[in-house]
Amino acid sequence: MLILAVDSSTPVAGAAVVDEDRVIIESFTNYKKTHSETLMPTINRILRECDCTIGDIDALAVTAGPGSFTGLRIGMAAVKGISMAAKKPVVAVSTLDTLAGNIAGSNALVAALLDARKNEVYCAFYDASGIRPERLREPMACAPETFLSEARALADYEHKDKIILLGDGYYRYSDYFNTELTNRLIPIPGHLMLPRAAAAGILAAHKARQGEFADVFQLRPWYIRLSEAEYRLGKGEV
Amino acid sequence: MKDILILGIETSCDETAASIVKNGRHILSNVINSQINIHREFGGVVPEVASRKHIENIAVVVDNAFQEAGLGYNDVDAIAVTNQPGLIGALLVGVSFAKGFAWALGRPLLAVNHLHGHIYANVLEHGDISFPAVCLVVSGGHTSLLYMKDINHYKVIGETRDDAAGEAFDKVARFLGLGYPGGPAIQKAAAQGTAGKMKLPRIFLDKNDFEFSFSGLKTAAMNAWKRIEKSRELEVTDLAAEFQQALVEVLVEKSLKAAKINRVESLLMAGGVAANEHLRFLMKEKADQENIKVYYPSLALCTDNAAMIAGVAYQQYITKSYAPLELNAHPGLLSL
Repeated sequence: MLILAVDSSTPVAGAAVVDEDRVIIESFTNYKKTHSETLMPTINRILRECDCTIGDIDALAVTAGPGSFTGLRIGMAAVKGISMAAKKPVVAVSTLDTLAGNIAGSNALVAALLDARKNEVYCAFYDASGIRPERLREPMACAPETFLSEARALADYEHKDKIILLGDGYYRYSDYFNTELTNRLIPIPGHLMLPRAAAAGILAAHKARQGEFADVFQLRPWYIRLSEAEYRLGKGEV
Repeated sequence: MKDILILGIETSCDETAASIVKNGRHILSNVINSQINIHREFGGVVPEVASRKHIENIAVVVDNAFQEAGLGYNDVDAIAVTNQPGLIGALLVGVSFAKGFAWALGRPLLAVNHLHGHIYANVLEHGDISFPAVCLVVSGGHTSLLYMKDINHYKVIGETRDDAAGEAFDKVARFLGLGYPGGPAIQKAAAQGTAGKMKLPRIFLDKNDFEFSFSGLKTAAMNAWKRIEKSRELEVTDLAAEFQQALVEVLVEKSLKAAKINRVESLLMAGGVAANEHLRFLMKEKADQENIKVYYPSLALCTDNAAMIAGVAYQQYITKSYAPLELNAHPGLLSL
């Protein structure tokens, strides 16, 4: 099963074609240029480079959030358009699950965290001892301090000595996390620190096998947060 | 010649819209999902809320446009999308969707300036407009006078130096507690009141150019309300009527002057404020006296819609002015 995966949920723009568990081609760009300009040309280029047309693809995958509100919509709108026109099903994958997918076979507590600005991170915790990450808690937006106390408590509860932090939320507060966690923290090399479209594609292939497809007419990003205006009106949760 | 079918997509502000137009003239479908009721509780369009509604609605709205026209996705020859001006986050939903849809269908993508669309709405309904013409573009974001050599070629001969007319309507309506959107709210209140019971300024600036200024009128209206609200000497409806009258008189006088000086026989109106009944009435009345013909779109095509986008893109399709996959959205106006 060939999957075209798209990720524009953070400053990284990614696209990949995977065949089940095999990565055929991947593009990863962590460089300032708007996703709006680069995403479609990237998709076009990688398909051409692996001698595919959109007709050859079996399903589309998109990272649906959390992440940059505008970035999420750029990727999801493009995927909705492609899905309708090419009549291809869509699998929505969490950006945090995608990040956690960079680690496997580890007994450490894996935390994926994205910079959510306003001194908060979007985060979720995982058991990554198997081939696919198992999410231990629902994703949330919170202050780095709250995140850290949750991480410690959960690691203790799960009897995990070491902690792995992934995502640009780590970079944003690295001094603080390093000081607080010292040798409990396992450093991770840069190529595993940010979301990879190939990881999204491989997680999506698994979901597709379980029949977990999204309805493009209903699908919306998982923002976690309300808009500012809705907060001010005193609306509840998303 | 083969019929050319173009799908238009419009998400520049608070309407998610899609339409299929044949040969730049015949509207086969025109679907609009308005968010007015959602934004009303915020007292104005909230960009992030608008963007969220667009991504939720876009697929359904586009699909409905095909169903209403009785067509399949593969039947269209090109996809046109508004890429400027507007709310950037809102525009990006339409642009990103359109790029994906056009690319996967293997059809050309056409990038449309929202204001060109508004102007073109006149042609969609009136086949007999004689050019050259003068066009008043009047909306929440713009108040400009254009000299039009034909429907595709024009230059700006005057514009507002501060607030757009629609912006003044919105701000004054909010200040007077009349609600949102301001244009219809003031029009409704004005119908119950009498203009001229008090006097607001008509700001013409230099009588000999075609520039506008509405911030002075807006401030005068707000100051008048602060006074009246306490003294109760006049009703809010009287103030609304006078405000509308003052604004409309300036628009009409400057537009007619532009038409006369440029010796054109046609005067077009475009944009959301062109839906104002008093503006339509007064413009027609005054223009009749000068033997100038006035054109404006029906109410449905005055406000944001995608038929005008699909329509105006026809010429770009014919001249093969296709947009690249790199196409971006732009909040401001690159050029009118």
